[in-house]
Amino acid sequence: MLALFAGVLLTSCDPEIDAPASSAGSADFTKYIAVGNSLTAGFSDNGLSLEGQVNSYPAILAQQFKAIGGGDFAQPLFTEAQRNGSGYIRLAGFTATGSPITAPVTENLALRAPNSSLLTKYTEPVNNYGIPGIRVADINTPGYGSAAGNPYFERITPDAQAMQTYLQRVQQSTDHTFFSLWLGNNDILGFATAGGFAGAITETGTFNANYSAMVDALTAKGAKGIVATIPDVTGVPFFTTVGPQVKAALTAAKSAGFVAFTGSATNVDNTKNRTLVPTATIKDATGGTVLFTLTGSAYAGLIGRPTGKYWKDLAKQQSPSPAAVNLVLAGLLSRYAIDTTKALGAPENPWPSALIVDATELKAIEDATKTFNDFIKAQATAKSLAIFDANAYFTSIQGGFSSYGVAYSPAFITGNLFSLDGVHPTPRGYAFIANEMIKSINAKYSAKLQTVDETQYRTVVFP
Amino acid sequence: MKSKILALLLGGTLLSGSAMAGGYQVNLASQRQIGMGHTGTGIVTGNASIFFNPGAMSQVRENGVTIGATGLISKIAYRAPEPSGTEAMSDNPLGTPFNFYGTYKADDLLTVGLGVYTPFGSSVNWGSDWNGRFGLNELTLQAIFIQPTVSYQLTEKLGFGVGFVYAIGGVNLQRSIPLQGQEEGRVELDGGASGIGINAGIFFKPSEKISVGLSYRSKVDMKVEEGDTEFNAPASVAGRFPAGTTFDAELPLPSTVSIGVGIMPTEKLTIAIDVSRVGWSAYEKLRFDYSANVNGASFTENARNYDDAYIFRIGGEYKLTEALNLRAGAYYDNTPVEDGYLTPETPDANALGLSAGIGYTLSEKLSIDASFLYINKEERTDLSNKSGGIAGTYKSVAYAPGIGLNYKF
Repeated sequence: MLALFAGVLLTSCDPEIDAPASSAGSADFTKYIAVGNSLTAGFSDNGLSLEGQVNSYPAILAQQFKAIGGGDFAQPLFTEAQRNGSGYIRLAGFTATGSPITAPVTENLALRAPNSSLLTKYTEPVNNYGIPGIRVADINTPGYGSAAGNPYFERITPDAQAMQTYLQRVQQSTDHTFFSLWLGNNDILGFATAGGFAGAITETGTFNANYSAMVDALTAKGAKGIVATIPDVTGVPFFTTVGPQVKAALTAAKSAGFVAFTGSATNVDNTKNRTLVPTATIKDATGGTVLFTLTGSAYAGLIGRPTGKYWKDLAKQQSPSPAAVNLVLAGLLSRYAIDTTKALGAPENPWPSALIVDATELKAIEDATKTFNDFIKAQATAKSLAIFDANAYFTSIQGGFSSYGVAYSPAFITGNLFSLDGVHPTPRGYAFIANEMIKSINAKYSAKLQTVDETQYRTVVFP
Repeated sequence: MKSKILALLLGGTLLSGSAMAGGYQVNLASQRQIGMGHTGTGIVTGNASIFFNPGAMSQVRENGVTIGATGLISKIAYRAPEPSGTEAMSDNPLGTPFNFYGTYKADDLLTVGLGVYTPFGSSVNWGSDWNGRFGLNELTLQAIFIQPTVSYQLTEKLGFGVGFVYAIGGVNLQRSIPLQGQEEGRVELDGGASGIGINAGIFFKPSEKISVGLSYRSKVDMKVEEGDTEFNAPASVAGRFPAGTTFDAELPLPSTVSIGVGIMPTEKLTIAIDVSRVGWSAYEKLRFDYSANVNGASFTENARNYDDAYIFRIGGEYKLTEALNLRAGAYYDNTPVEDGYLTPETPDANALGLSAGIGYTLSEKLSIDASFLYINKEERTDLSNKSGGIAGTYKSVAYAPGIGLNYKF
């Protein structure tokens, strides 16, 4: 009898904790659309895959909106058979010294034809307009959705509308009640990841005109929404991983510094654009003004040794056929006056400009970030929109933090937040972003949206 | 060093219960006394005085044996800090704390006895999916006290007793490791433990209507030496978790000082009141020392910094007929866990216990006790930022039906 009594109690008298209230506040989440770049698309590990799409921050937001009246949220998902989408990189292992080895994932891609740069078409209506690579500067470019444009925008653009601009595509959405807008990163990032060697920071005038046109389009029918600022691109592992290692090695070797190329590809004066980078100016936790790109990790260990590895790798990339590699290499060495018999970092064999952000380039990046963010915030304030200050958030976590017994930081791989490309978050990182956005939306619109359990989203996958 | 002794002794199923008293103490030492709010320091509790107050054991008039067991059904609800919508519910295995007491009157004044009981333990299972899994999946703590005891009647009114405690037990702790492979990493620590202590008491009964008692159960340091580890980590980082690593750990089972008073206003009614102070401040940290570096560290340590805590108890027994006794009781158990130190293995809070019981005499030699205890811990929200715990709100309830048999000879 006691057992029976206990059995009844067991099922009927579980402890309960009252659930927090949930409400939409003054916002309306009936139809949510997301405008943005790779971050909005769910890009991770240097590619866009079905897994990345499913775990994109807009998908997480939409899932939480559903609890308080949000509708379905359509994304241009890759099919299960083409789940690896654009392809991406995976962690294959570690070298004997503990450096990560990555490998490309090349099966189950969503390429329209073998070796095509185009992706399988998706012309159903979408709520997620995230286009990897898009800049604010690109939103008024006719043909950006054509085969000669951005393959991710081309993918969701019907062939008949190949000349439609991204802004026009967004303007077609007239019945959304809520939106997120996170653009601007690529207006700086392309320049930064190329070490200032290629690409350019968008002109402020272009940025402001295009950005406000997008905000106007999204708010034309009175929709509420959230905009996000541009994080300090120099706080991501892509720029913070190699530099401190180089600085430590040079300091240990009592080296005063090394010589690097500076400036862009089109403005190389072979004798003048070489500058001594003092060891002390390399940025690490203690400060500094010179950043190394993650793409430089393969060459960083070669500083002080005679090598032409970087130029050989570049020649292989640029060469139309394997037979022509040596010819291309000779052309490169001649054009940039490189003597590969000299040590890397010597005046005759300088560290390549594409692998370093020097103090001048860094200042240009930081100035533009501030200018763009000031404009973004002013636009949001003028339209009474919520703001996710991604710049402030990522700056605040530079020292790391802990959540539910897991340590997080912007460190490459071990920090759990950034994926293998060193720029885009892991699904876990995107979940943190979605939660921060939810907190901003709650604060702005007096809503009571619930955040998600970030531990249900993966970090870097180890083999 | 798996706890094979326990498995042999108890068939592997009858293990100690969930920690439903403060900390990981389990106050379920006698079915009669559970019915009376687990009082018993200031009254003669029969053979169970071996546990409650060895000084009162010499007052027991006949040789006898008591055996009993309790089914401890507990659940803990969890909610992550707002505005998270995340929640979890622990699926704790049924705890089965048990007791055995035997007393033998060597002569008119001297009584000897043996107690075997389970005053500490915990089994909490959150599973490997909840958001706090990197803090804890599952914890099982077991401790069985074996206590040979002597009690001597100094005068007709005054008794003194002391027992030597040998404790055996073990710990099994499982948690997830935040390393993502094909599946998430996991670690299991498993070790047997043992320790020693004493249990002493004085019992004074100046009149038929009143009695008082004082008891002291010492701290027992349970030491795990060369416990087993089992790591499950992705192959590329498996080298950071060497196979065959053993661990040492020490867990204090705290002292308890109790004073109790018994009031017998009529022949039919007994009222008992106890106050206990549990020396939880002995539990300063939970530390595991490894025989090899695990993920780059030779040990892990988390602060606990428990406070000493008081328990207040009251209980009564009414003799309805010659054969039938009715009992009821209540207690209030203050948590030893300070703010900031809440952990998912012991998400403790101030607790209210309400109990009822019956005793029935079947024959001159045989009687039976049945008890039921309901424990309700206050809902508690904590940042858990000082203990490496999992922040959030916890709420525990437990139900403990028990049954015991007494045989006199």
